Amino acid sequence: MASTLSKTIPSFQSVRPHSRLQEMKQHLFAQKRQISLERAKLYTESYQQTVGEPTIMRRAKATVHILDNVQISIRPGELLVGNRTIRPRSGILSPEMDPYWIMKEIDTIAQRPQDEFEFTAADKTYYREKLLPYWTNQSMKDFINAKIPTDVKQAEDDLVIKLNQTDKGQGHIIMDFPVILNHGIQYLLDLIQEHINQQPTNDFYQSAELIFQGMQRHFERYAQLAETMMLDSATPAYRQIELQEIAAMCRRLKTKAPQSFYEALQLLWMTSIVGQYESNASSLSLGRMDQYLYPFYQMSQKAHVPEAFLREVLGDFYLKTNDVVLLRSAESAKCFAGFPTGYTVALGGLDKYGQYAVNDLSYKMLDLYQAIQLPQPNLSVRINTQIPQRFLMKTCETIRYGTGIPMLFNDEVCVPGFLSKGVSLDDARDYAVVGCVETTIPGKTYGLHDIALFNLLRIMELALYDLENDPTVTYTKLRQHILDKIDAYVKIVTTGSDVVDLGHRQFAPTPFLSVLIEDCLQKGQDVTAGGARYNFSGVQGIGEPNLADALYAIKQVVFENHELTFKELVTHLADNFAGATGEALRQHLIQDVDKYGNDNPELDLECAKFFRHYALELGKYRNIRGGEFNAGAYTVSAHIPLGEDVGATPDGRKAHEQLADGGLSPMVGRDKLGPTAVLKSVSKIDNTLAVNGSLLNLKFSPNTLKGPAGLRKFADFLMAFTQLKIRHVQFNVQSKETLLDAQKHPENYAGLVVRVAGYSAFFVDLNKRIQDDIIRRAEHTL
Amino acid sequence: MAAGDQGLVFNIQRYSVHDGPGIRTIIFLQGCPLHCPWCSNPESQGAVKPLTWVKNGQTETISKWWTAAEVMAEIEKDEVFYRNSGGGVTLSGGECLMQADFSANILKATQALGISTAIETTGALPLTAIQKVLPYTDYVLFDLKIMDLQRSKQIIGDNTAWVKASFEAALAADNTTVIPRIPLIPGFTTTQDNLQQIADYVTSLDIQEVHILPFHQYGSQKYDYLKRSYTLKDTPLLTAAEVSHIHDFFEAREIKAVVSGLE
Repeated sequence: MASTLSKTIPSFQSVRPHSRLQEMKQHLFAQKRQISLERAKLYTESYQQTVGEPTIMRRAKATVHILDNVQISIRPGELLVGNRTIRPRSGILSPEMDPYWIMKEIDTIAQRPQDEFEFTAADKTYYREKLLPYWTNQSMKDFINAKIPTDVKQAEDDLVIKLNQTDKGQGHIIMDFPVILNHGIQYLLDLIQEHINQQPTNDFYQSAELIFQGMQRHFERYAQLAETMMLDSATPAYRQIELQEIAAMCRRLKTKAPQSFYEALQLLWMTSIVGQYESNASSLSLGRMDQYLYPFYQMSQKAHVPEAFLREVLGDFYLKTNDVVLLRSAESAKCFAGFPTGYTVALGGLDKYGQYAVNDLSYKMLDLYQAIQLPQPNLSVRINTQIPQRFLMKTCETIRYGTGIPMLFNDEVCVPGFLSKGVSLDDARDYAVVGCVETTIPGKTYGLHDIALFNLLRIMELALYDLENDPTVTYTKLRQHILDKIDAYVKIVTTGSDVVDLGHRQFAPTPFLSVLIEDCLQKGQDVTAGGARYNFSGVQGIGEPNLADALYAIKQVVFENHELTFKELVTHLADNFAGATGEALRQHLIQDVDKYGNDNPELDLECAKFFRHYALELGKYRNIRGGEFNAGAYTVSAHIPLGEDVGATPDGRKAHEQLADGGLSPMVGRDKLGPTAVLKSVSKIDNTLAVNGSLLNLKFSPNTLKGPAGLRKFADFLMAFTQLKIRHVQFNVQSKETLLDAQKHPENYAGLVVRVAGYSAFFVDLNKRIQDDIIRRAEHTL
Repeated sequence: MAAGDQGLVFNIQRYSVHDGPGIRTIIFLQGCPLHCPWCSNPESQGAVKPLTWVKNGQTETISKWWTAAEVMAEIEKDEVFYRNSGGGVTLSGGECLMQADFSANILKATQALGISTAIETTGALPLTAIQKVLPYTDYVLFDLKIMDLQRSKQIIGDNTAWVKASFEAALAADNTTVIPRIPLIPGFTTTQDNLQQIADYVTSLDIQEVHILPFHQYGSQKYDYLKRSYTLKDTPLLTAAEVSHIHDFFEAREIKAVVSGLE
């Protein structure tokens, strides 16, 4: 019987004999990670030829030089092309940003405890002899170091602030994917050309044109590679058909807008890859994929493209997001352990009419995640009181797999948060997630969401020692002193952030990315120069829960119960609770004094007051692009290294122990009343103020979520979370036994994905301290 | 203070998802007339009076007097979770009917807020006790243990006549759902005779559903704290096949049997 359907199916969509996703997944992780110097070499080569030209032109030419010359490959089975490096998961050095850190680790990076990379002897030599000498005194790091004022330097030495992104691209941004997908590359080039006609001397337009032309040639290179591979006699017939289509598609996409789901994913991925070549940045995030890809998905459905093919292409895309990893220094890898590359996606949410936005593709993306279960893409679901029960249940079901994906963002908090910062209603409803848990307005924001860390607990510690010998100290006085110090350090951290901001403007403009951020083309300005519609800087306040616990303890034992004097308490802290008396005091502080996370309104309110003070103080400052500083309350995995910076504290925490994980989670082991009490405590903090992002970890035992009733109650729990106006939550659903066994027998758990902090990672990729931390986070089960 | 203004409570457990509909807060009330050897809250047995035990070398008082208002404040902390899940409050114990006036106060005040109410009871008290709480109780999770009068008296100290009277009163109450629950304790409640008697009894009352709760040993540690011996420490857990056998026993008699309790 002749099928009417088969006539309409183009052959390349149905030739695939079986799904290759599992095979490709294995291939991706088959080799050890290695450092690749290729980008650095090409970048440097270009720089040597552009001496004297404006920085933005030099950057553009360097990026184009990479696009034209970098080795390219099409991996076995791939339907989508565009690999940043020939070898999967290679680490890329960008010495133009910071040539120095790698020198300290050049011989240890292959063995370091977190996120190790091989570095070949030949490459090490090349680096030492060619790249390092060229970039010494010429890098962005040098610029920043020279500009850092002494008070900022002092605050860094005081271990109160840490400036980020001083050694790599900013990232933490979502490009305007809808514009390039809906109109194609040529449309953008035509727009740029019009601007050039108006302003022929504007370097921004000139540089942007160069890179988009480079992108077209890069597509052509892949077309030619596909054709070459097609001619190889060893290539099976079905693969030849696929390669033929890849070649044809790459040529179409050089100019035209995608006409299918397949083409849309291809252009999306290539845009992301070009962005990576340009800035080698963390978190060029993907935004609301289910929304902007849906028209293409419908197009392919209407054309009767087999569902299996659409799934295979989307699966290919999911795998590719794990192919790019970020090379960080050892110190940075402690804070961002296990490769949070930041291919973050926000599913669901609101449309511009204020209705819940969910479609077939939203469901398909969660379904496919259940089958693939890798750390990236880092899916999240936007929840609000209008979420359809069906989508809520699908979300719960996916969380139950235990990988920590998806995490949840609460529209009831995020939207008003943006409105309070002058974002329009339409834009606020369109927010998405970048990096780990930062929120941004896609295609319109250069938000420096990860510009600095601000250690609130360390400030409290310094305040304690300031007042150690003050006989007139009272709780009120101590409290005020901490607030004053917060104000002083806030001023300093904004100054420091501005220096980094300026460093990127002077050294690392990103014209490609800027074309895809609204208002840059109109203004003729790069994002680093302030071209974007929204121009925030985000500083994370860290150690808030410990600060609240510590102050509550001081108030109880010193100022209310007079169990010991302030001076005596501080002395015990200085001694790190040494001796039997010290340890007895520590146990008393832990056991008998209530802690954040147990729904104690008095304690929680004090926590809320400090966070509010910090957020409002920070919000008084404007950055060099005229945007506001926004407060965040998340640590990623920095609660471990930032804990190392703080001595013993009155909450019974010993010196150098970790801080509370996540940002708004209670200190590990201190919450005793279960997850409802935790949510109540967290809800006391005005989450709307954490415009830059917040993080709450909850761990559930798999038993609690078992069966339809367990899932239903979990869904109800999430609706309560939504009404409590907590900004973010993420779950680890692995039993303690599983994780302990994985620690003992890593070889049996190569694929075990767990939630770290705003992102998921392979459990076996994490060092022991972080593994222990994940195991210890209270497991809520009844 | 008037009767029932104060109650002796030994634990309040939030986020309970196994004891009635939705997400619930369980109030554990001190005092129980029975002495079931498998009891997982042995500290609650006996009269309504504060009790101490020794945990990790430290003497702890495990129950304290709460006013009804204090308990209500604790209950209201999780109201957003009840609202979203159809959950609410479950009074447990011990035997909450030992403090029937206090229980009635809490249940009445809870119900007045539109929050679901439940009790867990064995009904082993004179009928007046359960009559005080039934007007304010949405769900009665009613334990049926040993039906034979002699065995029941001897093993757990139960008066089955009281149990039956309470049970039937609960069934007759307006707007109250009764869920018979049968703890499956090997050698005690799982004998063929006992199961047959339970089946006959519920059938005679036209009941179509029971919950069966397989034996667990979660309370065993507490016997050490109380310096009492736990006589069931060598009693093996039921196998899945045994549980399934009992399940089928009820289903064969057209009584739906739901396996529940802690996993």
